Amino acid sequence: MNAPIIDPLQGDFPEVIEEYLEHGVMKCISFNRRGTLLAAGCSDGNCVIWDFETRGIAKELRDKDCIAAITSVSWSKYGHRILVSSADKSLTLWDVVSGERISRTTLQQTPLQARLHPGSSTPSLCLACPLSSAPMIVDLNTGSTTVLPVLIPDTSNGLVPQSRNKFSDGAPPYTPTAACFNKYGDLVYVGNSKGEILIIDYGTIQVRAMVPVTGGAVVKNIVFSRSGEYLLTNSNDRTIRIYENLLPLKDGLRALDDLDKTANELDGVEKLKAIGSKCLTLFREFQDSITKMHWKAPCFSGDGEWVIGGSASKGEHKIYIWDRAGHLVKILEGPKEALIDLAWHPVHPIVVSVSLTGLVYIWAKDYTENWSAFAPDFKELEENEEYVEREDEFDLVPETEKVKESDVNEDDEVDIVTVEKDSAFSDSDMSQEELCFLPAIPSPDIPEQQDKCIESSSKLVDSNHSGSPLSDDAGPNGRTTNHASSPLEDNSAAEDAVARKRKRKPSEKGLELQAEKETLKDDTFV
Amino acid sequence: MTTEPNESFRPYTLTQTLTGHKRPISAVKFSSNGRLLASSSADKTLRTYCLSNSDPTLSPLQEFQGHEQGVSDLAFSSDSRFLVSASDDKTLRLWDVQTGSLIKTLTGHTNYAFCVKFNPQSNIIVSGSFDETVRVWDVKSAKCLKVLPAHSDPVTSVDFNRDGSLIVSSSYDGLCRIWDAGTGHCMKTLIDDENPPVSFVKFSPNGKYLLVGTLDNTLRLWNYSTGKFLKTYTGHMNSKYCISSTFSVTNGKYIVSGSEDNCLYLWDLQTRKIVQKLEGHTDTVVSVSCHPSENMIASGSLGNDKTVKIWTQTKD
Repeated sequence: MNAPIIDPLQGDFPEVIEEYLEHGVMKCISFNRRGTLLAAGCSDGNCVIWDFETRGIAKELRDKDCIAAITSVSWSKYGHRILVSSADKSLTLWDVVSGERISRTTLQQTPLQARLHPGSSTPSLCLACPLSSAPMIVDLNTGSTTVLPVLIPDTSNGLVPQSRNKFSDGAPPYTPTAACFNKYGDLVYVGNSKGEILIIDYGTIQVRAMVPVTGGAVVKNIVFSRSGEYLLTNSNDRTIRIYENLLPLKDGLRALDDLDKTANELDGVEKLKAIGSKCLTLFREFQDSITKMHWKAPCFSGDGEWVIGGSASKGEHKIYIWDRAGHLVKILEGPKEALIDLAWHPVHPIVVSVSLTGLVYIWAKDYTENWSAFAPDFKELEENEEYVEREDEFDLVPETEKVKESDVNEDDEVDIVTVEKDSAFSDSDMSQEELCFLPAIPSPDIPEQQDKCIESSSKLVDSNHSGSPLSDDAGPNGRTTNHASSPLEDNSAAEDAVARKRKRKPSEKGLELQAEKETLKDDTFV
Repeated sequence: MTTEPNESFRPYTLTQTLTGHKRPISAVKFSSNGRLLASSSADKTLRTYCLSNSDPTLSPLQEFQGHEQGVSDLAFSSDSRFLVSASDDKTLRLWDVQTGSLIKTLTGHTNYAFCVKFNPQSNIIVSGSFDETVRVWDVKSAKCLKVLPAHSDPVTSVDFNRDGSLIVSSSYDGLCRIWDAGTGHCMKTLIDDENPPVSFVKFSPNGKYLLVGTLDNTLRLWNYSTGKFLKTYTGHMNSKYCISSTFSVTNGKYIVSGSEDNCLYLWDLQTRKIVQKLEGHTDTVVSVSCHPSENMIASGSLGNDKTVKIWTQTKD
């Protein structure tokens, strides 16, 4: 997105539902690094990869062995691999381009969340958070698991023993513990049931630092921003907390070693706390003091400027958007279906939410037509301006028209070849090519369909142009249902699995706003 | 930076003439892997030619039949596997390059489809038409994703920028408009004091500049962010047809264009001087294309000529 004329997208947030995607019952979603592909895990064990630009299905990853619901989806750094965790206790690693399964590991417990190591392009390690035991690092090649400590024992000798219970048989049940990698994957941050954030070096299975969360409530989610500068925790006390990461992004371990040396006179828990205070500082807290709602799937925007959290109440689909300073800027309300997953697009001000019914809603900005883009010599005025004529305005031959000199020096050098780096992605240590798109192979027409005139304006349900500014008089609109679906080449999906995109019937308030817009639209030019 | 371009510039000479089309040629394009050349014609067909590695001659490969009326434009996908063509029969057709078979027909335009392009990721096709709209299509399903109310006159040319995020369209109404490919919103309109019909527009290789051809015998290089043009190239004739032009960057930076005086013109990009005038066609040269890596230019000409000519630089 090099073009300087595209509006700066930082600092914007979505406002309305633009579209929804439907394919089976989707449970969890994840964008690839650039937001060009959206992977969605379904309840039937399949993983669908959507091409986000065309809003069509780019690939389906089907596994005959896996028919249980997918619990989480995770991309590798450059988009070549996807890790899928499923309710049948398995972790499956896929190669995206070929659609082939690389490996499948079965755990003792259902992993609720699994994240591929974010530092490498072909990761073999992943972090899995099982349903009721401590998070573990799984080596996908060998299948071996390394359980991470979740509690700091009260011993004063500073040693952290291995977690007592590898598998919870006969031992006190753990509540699911949240964990995540830091940006480059050298450390794991764990949020435990005592309301502490533990910074763990998984190589040595040692807790290196501890940060107590105010209030000590169970930590349900822990997430880093894309830049790695901010950390977010979602606790049982209905508060989302933002921490600033004080450790350097790369080489976090070495910084911890340095901090270790400075805190040498302390011991055990005190030492870990002291180091912890140098790793994270509390920045902000977000809560809804009126409704005191529990939050679900909170995350940062792509640039870290905004924080979103979904309401965990059943029966409503609400997304709260705060700016990083803590101000609530918007509440997005969707149809009355519980929200189960949420993701912000890495680059654009687009939010994608998954509802309990399995639909994926795409929220985008409500676009108001920029008329000066169509007619540059028109200036849009906010209020009346007093116009003062030029001296020669009414002259027969105005002075200013006689001489028209080009103020451009045509001899200047013009460089048509050099490309500027995309500033939105500062990670330019790209040794491998990033996978941004899956090749689009057009599915062939059935011969008798070639004469058929495909009507393109069939399914414009009710009156809904929220966010689609161009569809009225121009007639045919692309978002239709293609009833006569031609056989899909590489997707062996049945007819009913063809992705259909339709506009949702807006809420009453939405219809009100539509009516307003309709009257405005009559004056528009086409 | 060449101060005396004529010294280091090696002239192009005609090395091959390809016949076969029975009516005027409308477009010629090299594939991005440099191994294929495709041409479209008013005789309703497309033809592909392949370039062998050994010697720089092209041999005819396939003929693509299926359009019901003449074809105005064509484009290769980035992996050179597919061709899309725009025709007066109001459709766009997707062809498989290897087999020569028709894969899909994209209907929707309500008047002649005039220009077409794949985006760099080749999952989207953009087309411009005499129905004054620009349409964005999904390759996989052939569905029309967006209809842009682009202009008030036939749309003569469309192009994507380097990363596929912008679409530029030009029209006889004298305007060039830039659109956000993802949302379909108009980002900018380029106008000048006079608005001669724009016959052609193309992004520079780095996506920062636009090469704009207008029907007043002028080619201009615009910086679309500032909305001002930086270079003007004249000397050729272009007042009737939509003649395509292109950048030649394989051996020095040049602008290449066809002309209505039956010649091809090459200008030095920076100095704007004509460095060569290639003669040989017997009718208007309506389309030119530069090979992505070799110093080779392909040109196609109208009714009196009906040939595709290949020009290469003389070896030292």
